[in-house]
Amino acid sequence: MSFPNPVTSVKLVLLGEAAVGKSSLVLRFVSNEFQENKEPTIGAAFLTQKLTIGDRAIKYEIWDTAGQERFASLAPMYYRNAQAALVVYDVTKPASFVKARQWVKELREQASKDITIALVGNKYDLVEDDNEEDLVRKVNVEEGQNLADEEGLLFFETSAKTGYNVKDVFVAIGNKIPEATASGSDTATNQTSGEGRIDLSGGGNFNNATSGCC
Amino acid sequence: MSKKKQEMSQVYLGTSNEFVFGELGGKGKHLSSFLKNLSLTSTSRKSKNLGEDVNSSIYGNMQYGRVLGEELGNGSGGVGGGGSDELLSSPGSPKLRPKLVGRSISMGTSFAFSGSHGDDSTSINLGGGSSGSSQSGVGNNGGPYKHSNLSSSSHLKSHRTHSNTFYKDLDADWDADLNDVRNKKLTSVKQKDNNNNDPSNKSRNSLSLVDSFHPEIGMVSSLPSLPKRKDEKISSASKKQSLDHEDHRAQLEVAKQNQLNSKYSKFYKILKPGNTIDINELRKLSWNGIPQDLRALIWQLLLGYLPTNKLRQSSTLTRKRQEYNEGLRVLTIDFDDVKTTSNTSSSSLINNKDRQIYHQINIDVKRTNPSIKLYGDPQVQKSLRKILYLWAIRHPASGYVQGINDLVTPFFHIFLHNYIWQVQKKAEAMNNPLKESDYEGLFIPGILDENDEIEAQFLKDPQLIHTTLNSLDTSKISPRAWSVIEADTYWSLTRLLETITDNYIHEQPGILRLVGELRDLISKIDLELSKHFEHEGIEYIQFAFRWMNCLLMRELSLDLVVRMWDTYLSETPLGFSHFHIYVCAAFLIKFSGDLKERDFQEILLFLQKPPTASWKEKDIEMMLSEAFIWQSLYKDASAHLRS
Ligand SMILES: Nc1nc2c(ncn2[C@@H]2O[C@H](COP(=O)(O)OP(=O)(O)OP(=O)(O)O)[C@@H](O)[C@H]2O)c(=O)[nH]1
Ligand SMILES: [Mg+2]
Repeated sequence: MSFPNPVTSVKLVLLGEAAVGKSSLVLRFVSNEFQENKEPTIGAAFLTQKLTIGDRAIKYEIWDTAGQERFASLAPMYYRNAQAALVVYDVTKPASFVKARQWVKELREQASKDITIALVGNKYDLVEDDNEEDLVRKVNVEEGQNLADEEGLLFFETSAKTGYNVKDVFVAIGNKIPEATASGSDTATNQTSGEGRIDLSGGGNFNNATSGCC
Repeated sequence: MSKKKQEMSQVYLGTSNEFVFGELGGKGKHLSSFLKNLSLTSTSRKSKNLGEDVNSSIYGNMQYGRVLGEELGNGSGGVGGGGSDELLSSPGSPKLRPKLVGRSISMGTSFAFSGSHGDDSTSINLGGGSSGSSQSGVGNNGGPYKHSNLSSSSHLKSHRTHSNTFYKDLDADWDADLNDVRNKKLTSVKQKDNNNNDPSNKSRNSLSLVDSFHPEIGMVSSLPSLPKRKDEKISSASKKQSLDHEDHRAQLEVAKQNQLNSKYSKFYKILKPGNTIDINELRKLSWNGIPQDLRALIWQLLLGYLPTNKLRQSSTLTRKRQEYNEGLRVLTIDFDDVKTTSNTSSSSLINNKDRQIYHQINIDVKRTNPSIKLYGDPQVQKSLRKILYLWAIRHPASGYVQGINDLVTPFFHIFLHNYIWQVQKKAEAMNNPLKESDYEGLFIPGILDENDEIEAQFLKDPQLIHTTLNSLDTSKISPRAWSVIEADTYWSLTRLLETITDNYIHEQPGILRLVGELRDLISKIDLELSKHFEHEGIEYIQFAFRWMNCLLMRELSLDLVVRMWDTYLSETPLGFSHFHIYVCAAFLIKFSGDLKERDFQEILLFLQKPPTASWKEKDIEMMLSEAFIWQSLYKDASAHLRS
């Protein structure tokens, strides 16, 4: 390992309406790039990125899910064992904020109890130059902040395009993940060889039923 | 052990057994039980072991190298598995499929697939010699497989029959091509003494028919091993002659054109004479690839959109195109509206379902094929919005699902190409009124219209001859022509999606089923890979969901997808669901060696961006051939297992 300290793994999932910029945020974080017309995500995409915060080395194991409603039934398999979630909306698109609320609710009900959730209002660059008459912004900072306060979420407004606040989201999540817990979970998965796996059927019945154990 | 850690591993080890769909995804349905049912009806632990036997005995009796060596007249005799790489990608590869399958069953020697993947690490290792059953032959398996093998071999037989008729033809042509090459070569050497013309130009001029089409497309893919074979032939014919570089290139050129020429003429024989097109013959021929300029016509025939009865073609298309336009006319959507986000208030967005569908289509069309310039064009995007939206509201059970925006592009691409080609050919004919046209009867009816004034301008446009899809100025195409292209695309897409409706309806059961079938298939074909995935905790749905949802379009370039669809459209039933599974298997196994070296994360990262950037048509054709073989071997077997 290139890190002096044991690497802390964080299993992280991105949720949010289609086209709010989930993949773009991840791309900015992982490769520091931005693509004007990124293809819609189908199913989910898996990416990893390492980050050193202070004296801690953190490896983010990221599932970037597809936003379209039709794929929503796949989401649980990706968030079930996640330690952190980014719930993303588009600050120019109120419907996406409604959807974000629903995701938060679903995570509270279905995901792990200690999951760290960050609420992220993306496309901040579009509203930077807003003037009084013609507001591009459709979701106020206060609305986002209120939801975050109510639900105990981290809250950021970001721009995947300019990079504004993107790294900060991930750093804040990293700081929220306690060291012992995180490295502990790493070892737990290593017992079955492999990090970042997501258990799809719960309990691995899916595997066992088909081919038994090797 | 910390509390957190305990919790995590508990969850992982199965305290939470159920997969509950999200509130919007489903009403308390459980994916795990669904998937369990799936797996119960397919591979069980018991049948998996049987699967191994089948693998080894069937594959133990395959021998590609020898078969191909004979076919190609390579003469090198003992070409074993190791040499098959070159052989499989040789000019024989398009006809490889049926022959290989037909013959291989009766061969008594063992064969390892490895060479065909160009890398021993991707060896499929299907038990070439390792099982000790290599002499036993196909009929010698016990149990249920006896039946399945018999049925699969009879299935193969029917293919063999047609291969023996049709593919022999190709062989004969191939010889003719070679003779031609040799003659051309001699002439060009002779002529070279007298003048300094570029021999390749000369040969191009000598082939007016080919000239009138696009010689760069079509069978080029199978050329790489041409020089070698020619060298052999020629050196045995006239040993003293050594070839300089230019001659060599000229030969290549001629061979290429001859091959294309003969390919075209095969299609002409089916398409031109009589009033009815023999669709079965067309399927057989098209399976191995369709020349670019005939593709639109043939795709429409294969889809059943264009009638095989020529007398009915024109009226049918006219009616369908009208239907499309009428469908659009009743819609209240403004297809020029591309700012659905900021123009619409939140409440209307949420309440108006159709509006929401349009919005989703709108944002996805902007993100479709972002690497291809044509798809950034406003007119093209508008056409795609219309097609997708009309389809979505006419098919409410599935509606618009992301990925369908990908599936529409091959049709649109090919039909737009066809329009430009027809205009070009018409312009050519207008400029040479005396020359008899070679492509008569190969136009799709109703694409061109004499009364279309914008088209009349386009016909006279000096740039027309140089126009390609990349350089197209879309404003030169009339609204009438766009609507024809759109209508044909719409109906073709409709026909395609009819065969995979399950993939896009609520909870996407078709995709879940196909992913399960792929997993089962891999456990039969490549047990080691299957075990490795299992060991690493890889779930097929994590990477194969997209393979089904977008039919591998995200993994392969559009050109290659188009070639792949020649074959899919030639399969009966259309190859977009079942045959596709076998293609996915072949695709995955291409990387088997690589994947076995990797852990969970590396596997997922690899499969998200499989290294296909340098792939050529021959790679696709290889993959299709493998898929064909596996379909022949396992289709009936799996049907049997299920019952
Ligand atoms: N101006 C601006 N555009 C952005 C930003 N982030 C993303 N986009 C654009 O928004 C569109 C959608 O971005 P994606 O990252 O594909 O969105 P997504 O949430 O992953 O969408 P799905 O995969 O369909 O769920 C793309 O055209 C991006 O270029 C941003 O911060 N500012
Ligand atoms: Mg995305």
